[in-house]
Amino acid sequence: MAEGTGRGEMLSIWFFVGALTLIYGIVLLPYGAWEWFGGHESPTVLNNLHPTFWWGVLLTLFGGSYTLRYRPRRGDVNKA
Amino acid sequence: MQSMAALLTTQLTHLAPVDILILVLYFVVVIFIGFYVKGSTNTSEEFFLAGREMSAWVAGLSFVSANLGSLELMGWAGASYQYGILAMHWYWIGAIPAMLFLGIVMMPFYYISKTHSVPGYLQLRFGEGSRGLAAVSFGFMTILMSGVNMYAMALVMKVILGWNVSFSIWVGAVTVAIYVMLGGLRSAIINEVLQFVLIWAGAALIPILGLVEAGGWTNLKAQIAHNVGSTDYTHLWSTLGHFRDNPMGVHWTGIVFGLGFVVSFGYWTTDFLVVQRVLSANNLRAAKMAPVIGAAFKMAVPFIVIVPGLLALGIQDPHTHKAIFHLVGENAVDAAHPFSYNEVLPLMLIRYCGPGLLGLGITALVAGFMSGMAGNVSAFSTVWTYDIYGAFINKKASDQHYVAMGRWSTVIGMLVSILTAYLVADAASIMDYVQALFSFFIAPLFGTVVLGMLWKRATKQGGFWGLLVGTAASISMFVYTLRGGSTALSRIALSVDAKPMAETLYRALWSWCICVIVTVVVSYMTKPTPEAQLAGLVYGATPIPDDGAKTLFQKPMFWAVIVITVFFILNIVFF
Repeated sequence: MAEGTGRGEMLSIWFFVGALTLIYGIVLLPYGAWEWFGGHESPTVLNNLHPTFWWGVLLTLFGGSYTLRYRPRRGDVNKA
Repeated sequence: MQSMAALLTTQLTHLAPVDILILVLYFVVVIFIGFYVKGSTNTSEEFFLAGREMSAWVAGLSFVSANLGSLELMGWAGASYQYGILAMHWYWIGAIPAMLFLGIVMMPFYYISKTHSVPGYLQLRFGEGSRGLAAVSFGFMTILMSGVNMYAMALVMKVILGWNVSFSIWVGAVTVAIYVMLGGLRSAIINEVLQFVLIWAGAALIPILGLVEAGGWTNLKAQIAHNVGSTDYTHLWSTLGHFRDNPMGVHWTGIVFGLGFVVSFGYWTTDFLVVQRVLSANNLRAAKMAPVIGAAFKMAVPFIVIVPGLLALGIQDPHTHKAIFHLVGENAVDAAHPFSYNEVLPLMLIRYCGPGLLGLGITALVAGFMSGMAGNVSAFSTVWTYDIYGAFINKKASDQHYVAMGRWSTVIGMLVSILTAYLVADAASIMDYVQALFSFFIAPLFGTVVLGMLWKRATKQGGFWGLLVGTAASISMFVYTLRGGSTALSRIALSVDAKPMAETLYRALWSWCICVIVTVVVSYMTKPTPEAQLAGLVYGATPIPDDGAKTLFQKPMFWAVIVITVFFILNIVFF
């Protein structure tokens, strides 16, 4: 059910949560990989831990799972 | 912050293209949400209360997120640098018991009375006088707070990124106006849930990397003790035996009774901005569960707010073993000490987050500011339309007319907020006064509402005069302290060692006591309200309907006991 967005809508509030974090993951992950493997790390403290890459992985997994779980499906219109 | 902005010739950092992309994506999504939900906001119930169809999780996250504005985040991160772990009290004892009390005890009355607002409940229980007083003061304060949020965002963007103040004010205001005008409370709630996730996505890396750098919590405590020359900054309760024994200058009675009881219960149970989120729940059980879920998440918030302040206090240069950060009060900012406490969160963000992550952190801050504005404006438009316009100006208009009024009052509310933002820009002290103004109304309002819900003998006259005299007493004490200096402060807070923070807590406690005493005395002097008129409004005159919970795990009370148990354990661990 498309929770939180109103009667007759297809996209759930959780879909928006998933989609936005997935988009951010998709932006951060390759950027972090470019920083790490291309030797372009920014001069921040603990940059040797490659936080941009790993945070990108986390957001992609979290956002991807929410997007998949709450994706709009046929016949899933909110009638609440 | 004004002095800070003036001193800095260049901004703290700048955004890379990837950061700008992240920020722009956020704006695109929130505007899209506004247009997307517009079709589901045609009736007043849909526009002002999101159709009362939110699940406990959505209402609960929105409830806690409505209070998680950037002004609070940055302010309390700064307070934890200034006062140490004592700032944690505002997130734990200053929130958790009150949130649980709202869910378990008060929510059934708000929910079954089918009120649209807190002033609306006052009208049902105490009549038009109390409603008018509460609605006008709330509406006025809310719109001013929206302006303060707007200006604070503009100033933070100027300090961190060098953005033009007017640019930030107008971009923020226009975006919020569009999505709230289109989607009403529904838009605001969706964005609050998004903001909650964004705040964690943008800020959680600071404490994680900070604790790695410090070598863990035990090492951090040792480093703080070394840097400040005292272990007082890492204990929640053991230093509260006397006003002079802790950095905040407070006593445990002020924290327990002033903060934990009056201020906290006043804010979390009667401030319509947060209560409105719970009123959007789709059934009584969801309405009771939402504050319990909110309380569970609220307990975790200090990790991203208080820990960064403590990290700034403790982190040392690995070679010299001396503190890296030397932050000062706003008034002490100079060339040698260019940063104040209030900049601690952005400073820590810049320390650990490069391009990409920095954009995410800045987006989280912007989202926090914008959701603060949206929360204020959506609550204002509800109270204006239902409790001022619909109650005193045009009582018999159609539902469509009230929805249109809600949309227009959103736009006008934003314009007044913009005006307030420019006023604050001209005189920064207005910001402090506006924030103080909120404290005038919250404590007495809690006295009135709680007596109204729990005491059948409270009368209309008692409620009205209690609220009026309690509010007047709070304002009088504030003016007295302002003019009387430390002598006045010591009288209000009961100690010569008390500091301004203690004055706020004791002033709230006294104004609540005065409100309660006046309400009780006037109620006994006036004719009791017939019990039949109190059905659905007062404990003892209302059969509480079954919330539909079948199993133990469905019972809000079960989860409330779990949350309060964790709360006690945390307080003991950090005693």
